[in-house]
Amino acid sequence: MDITLIEKQFREMVSNQVKLKPEGVNRFRVFTPFQFEDGDCLSIVLKQTVAGWFLSDEGHTYMHLSYDIGIRDIEKGTRQKVIAGALTYFDIQDNNGELLIKIQENQFGNAFYSFIQGLLKITDITYLSRERVRSTFMEDFKIFVTTEIPKERLKFDYFDPSHDPEGKYLVDCRVNGMQKPLFIYAISNDDKCRDVTISLLQFEKWGLLYRSVAIFEDQENINRKVLARFSDVMEKQFSSLSSNKDRIKKFFTEVIV
Amino acid sequence: MADILNDQDIENLLKEEKHAAVSVDVFFSQMREKKAHREADIIVPRPDGSYFKVILRQNSINPLDFSAILGIVVKGSNQLIKLRRYNGKSHEHKNKLEAEQFYDFHIHHATERYQNIGYKEELYAIPTERYANLRDALKCLAQDCNIMFPGSNQMELF
Repeated sequence: MDITLIEKQFREMVSNQVKLKPEGVNRFRVFTPFQFEDGDCLSIVLKQTVAGWFLSDEGHTYMHLSYDIGIRDIEKGTRQKVIAGALTYFDIQDNNGELLIKIQENQFGNAFYSFIQGLLKITDITYLSRERVRSTFMEDFKIFVTTEIPKERLKFDYFDPSHDPEGKYLVDCRVNGMQKPLFIYAISNDDKCRDVTISLLQFEKWGLLYRSVAIFEDQENINRKVLARFSDVMEKQFSSLSSNKDRIKKFFTEVIV
Repeated sequence: MADILNDQDIENLLKEEKHAAVSVDVFFSQMREKKAHREADIIVPRPDGSYFKVILRQNSINPLDFSAILGIVVKGSNQLIKLRRYNGKSHEHKNKLEAEQFYDFHIHHATERYQNIGYKEELYAIPTERYANLRDALKCLAQDCNIMFPGSNQMELF
């Protein structure tokens, strides 16, 4: 095995696919082999402004992400943290959605290398799909509840057989063995929050006796109006599971006799 | 609906009549500025609880960077399956299976063969000269995917 030959191939494979194409005065389209997962390559421009030379994505990266993820979802939670970390680490500026890196002291190669790494890191947030986030939260919720409350007292996905034989108004977890059962809900998004509000209003109509508690994945992500209506009918709320485990345990101890 | 859309499923979904609730002009007027691009989406519900989504994206810095997209969200999911995407000319595209590469306006197509290998459904794309701006791209999308906007003459609406 000729390591030198392999090394040469590696270099050629990457560097030969980097090209510049003039697009006006002091402006060049930069072609690279690096792609999004749909076969589209990163969109990069090398341009000179009054402040110097910059590599820019001209807003393409966020726009491309917006095909799959709402911009609001990019600006909060884990995705926002991943993006903020990448921007800081690779010294990339976010100018109202345009990602830029300034070329310092004619170090075009270094800036290019950092910019590519930063953009690829940011595009990786597509793997943090909503489905995956939601399923992890529900798993965490079930593990937590089954750890803290005796299993024989729990009934997951409970519905009232006399009023709701089709199971339209599900309770994530019902705790039995008290004068009033405790209905526990795990809330991960606006839709779930609305559904639970409707369920509790229906339970009120039916005259069910119960206590209720909601555990949010991240309450800050819930629409204010949706949360306001929800708060009218939900007895007790915890803004997140991960940062409130001790408080939730204390609450369980107090209400589950 | 199956996890993988076969080519017949895709063809049937493209042919299905889709009646948008708003006119083309209203659709464009709904575009809002977000992070260096403008965007608007409309929903076309289906009887089974699933829905089509028509998406417009226009880059605010580069006028040649835009997208008109038709996707479907099946009942019980929040994942958009993109059936067609009419892209501008702001980046190269590579078709992995065909080893093709081009820098041009291009149309992404959902295909069964790419899904079977585990790639994104709309990875395959074809270069096109049918449009050069977002409005014309939407016109092509509407023609190819049977999307009706309010009005008597579909072509005059654009």
